[in-house]
Amino acid sequence: MAQYTLKPDSDFAREIAQAGGESLKKCYQCATCSVACPMAPVNAPYPRKEMIWASWGLRDKFDSDVDIWLCHNCGNCSEMCPRGARPADVLSAARNMVYKNLTEPAIVGKWMSSAGGLKNLFLIPAVLWFVVWALRAAINGQWFPRAADGRIVFGQIFYGDYTIDPIFMLTFFGACFIMYRSVRKLWEMFTPQGRMLVIGPRKNWIFHLVDVLWEEVVTHKKFDDCEDGPVTGKPTQNRKTGHAFLVWSFVILAFVTAAVAMGHWGGKIVPAIHIETPMPLSFPVKILANIGALLLICGLALLTWRRVQLDPERLGSGFYDWYLLGIIWLVAVTGILSQCFRLADSIVPAFMVYYLHLVFVWMLFAYLPWSKLGHFVYRTAALVFVRMYGRS
Amino acid sequence: MSKAILVVGGGFAGLTAAIEAAELGHDVFIIEKSPWLGGRVAQLNKYFPKLCPPSCGLEIQFQRIRKNPRVKFFTLAEVTGLSGSKGNYTVTVRLQPRYTAPHSVDFSLLASSLVNEVDNDFDFGLSKRKALYKSMPFAFPDRYALDAQSLSKADVSRIADANFLNMTEQAREIELDVAAIVVTTGWKPYDVTHLANFGAGNVKNCISNMQMERLSSSFGPTGGRIVRPTDGRAPHSVAFVQCAGSRDQNHLDYCSYICCMASLKQCLYIAEQNPDARITVYYIDLRAPGRYVNVLEKVKAQPNVSFVKGKVAEAVQGRDDKVTLTVEDAVRGEKLTLTHDLVVLATGMQPSLAGDNPQLQLPLDEDGFIAGGEEVGIFAAGCARMPLDVTRTAQSATAAALKAIQTVKGGRRHGQ
Repeated sequence: MAQYTLKPDSDFAREIAQAGGESLKKCYQCATCSVACPMAPVNAPYPRKEMIWASWGLRDKFDSDVDIWLCHNCGNCSEMCPRGARPADVLSAARNMVYKNLTEPAIVGKWMSSAGGLKNLFLIPAVLWFVVWALRAAINGQWFPRAADGRIVFGQIFYGDYTIDPIFMLTFFGACFIMYRSVRKLWEMFTPQGRMLVIGPRKNWIFHLVDVLWEEVVTHKKFDDCEDGPVTGKPTQNRKTGHAFLVWSFVILAFVTAAVAMGHWGGKIVPAIHIETPMPLSFPVKILANIGALLLICGLALLTWRRVQLDPERLGSGFYDWYLLGIIWLVAVTGILSQCFRLADSIVPAFMVYYLHLVFVWMLFAYLPWSKLGHFVYRTAALVFVRMYGRS
Repeated sequence: MSKAILVVGGGFAGLTAAIEAAELGHDVFIIEKSPWLGGRVAQLNKYFPKLCPPSCGLEIQFQRIRKNPRVKFFTLAEVTGLSGSKGNYTVTVRLQPRYTAPHSVDFSLLASSLVNEVDNDFDFGLSKRKALYKSMPFAFPDRYALDAQSLSKADVSRIADANFLNMTEQAREIELDVAAIVVTTGWKPYDVTHLANFGAGNVKNCISNMQMERLSSSFGPTGGRIVRPTDGRAPHSVAFVQCAGSRDQNHLDYCSYICCMASLKQCLYIAEQNPDARITVYYIDLRAPGRYVNVLEKVKAQPNVSFVKGKVAEAVQGRDDKVTLTVEDAVRGEKLTLTHDLVVLATGMQPSLAGDNPQLQLPLDEDGFIAGGEEVGIFAAGCARMPLDVTRTAQSATAAALKAIQTVKGGRRHGQ
């Protein structure tokens, strides 16, 4: 057997505990969890090994551990754990540590790690959009202007061409760039040292990515696999429906956003595809948008209900979980309310709520790399990695 | 005359406590719920420390009771009421009818002529018994018992004219005046139906360790041949699943102390009968306290016994009524899915009083073990207090007897 000298890092163990893995010291390495998990690979299954790494403070082991992303957090391991060591929470905490530490600037990660940082996270877009509002109000001569025909048009204040679109494009591509760098970093950490011999046909990573998106996003198949473990004798709350609704609504709303942006900017060149906002309620893109919003609310309600129902003794919910659910709720509710107030012709609440909507949407996207929503990118990357390196 | 001592439970602890007190000159009553004395030890094939058959140790205890007029015992008896205080208790005991004559009548012919069969609890469902039965050859008292509820109509007519059966016998209550009470209500095997991930008792050829004792016992369902319950064939591969429900906050949140040694002992049963059978023991930690480590060494030296560190997470039915186990070998870090002919779940000890409202109203801990009561002259011993092996059970029973007789003497000095 190979000799291995442990370099325990007690700070790391404490960090994991703070990030939601308080229970890990209860583990006595019975190995139930590794088998309770139907997704854990046959070779070096998780999460037993992660449990011992965490309690021994082996930071370097975690850094190169792709397995924390294979976990889809069904909680089977925690249900069956004889000690209440809650391995599911420990893996969740390990992912939270990635959100917190992987991506620069690290200060955002620090703010995102506890409720104390919320104030700063909120203030940045709040000031940003307030400045935009104030500037446009100065140009328009009033804070709550109406269009020439008396309608409420949010573009009067938050004018697309010069305010919303450039800011969001910058935010979006900025977030994309940050994520790209993070994924590169993550990939390097995963890649084992030395050369690896792969026997059999290899696929380009693009094809692996398509497979991953098919399983994770389109069909949500992994969620079924996830719950296909040993009978625990305890009720399991369905996560698939809620998560699928949420993800599909994101896809729909992303498509709507792209269509509107295309219609707006493309329309300047090709007048035939021009889309005027606000769109009438009967317009197909608007119908799709409202279907997306409805799906979003349904998914959110299901996932929130599930989290409330969870037995905190078995599966904990931390700040990262509640932040993500909370911010999506706020985006959805302010989005729907601003449409309602606009249609109801209540100009003051309409603009106020729309302003908040912009703040929350910005928070959702700009902080994506440091929030739990980052799992969309990091997990996808990790799953592509495991497929390329033949671990599944 | 000094007051008597009551011993509740006629298993190894109760017998020991009763005999110890009686041999020091005290009157003792034993009350036992089942029709015979001997308790769980009687169900074992062999027991520690010397790996004797139960007839060995129990015979001696029964002899001592038989020869000592100070010990009186009631079978089919349960405490239904308690009043008074330390040194001066009145205990109400309900006696269920046994229906058979008070001397050792050989009912074997009549019993075999009966038709209806029910699951034999003594063999944990591995065999059937008639309504008129005796659970073991050296049963004490050496009397058959009639379980009237298990009689079919045909059976009723068959026993109608039998001599030495008194079907008019009724349940009755008696009162006993005692100074001290020793509670030795013992343990029950943890109910496998709670173990959903092991099939809740529905996986064929997946038996409990106590069923394994019965299978190995010369007066068990197979006459001592260790075979698969479904087809009666000797298993080629046997697995032991340790901590099946023990050390688990979802089940028994403590170590049952005896299951490791019980499985090691059963490895020896199998190795002795069938040296070619491959045996695997899946464990979290192996606990061989004190000198029992010698037994562990002996089993480890067996060529066909292997140990895998890892708690089994799932047992399902495989092909040919085999049992498929899923476990991680935590030393090598590999998930294993292995199929065995016979699987033994090393289920733990649950105190008999757990979940069973005791008439004595003793303080129980959260697991159902007796925690306290000594201040009022009630002394717990044996597995009613904590999981113990037979040796330590006997020791705890002697200790309880010593405390009980001090209570009696104290009562006499102050009261009478």
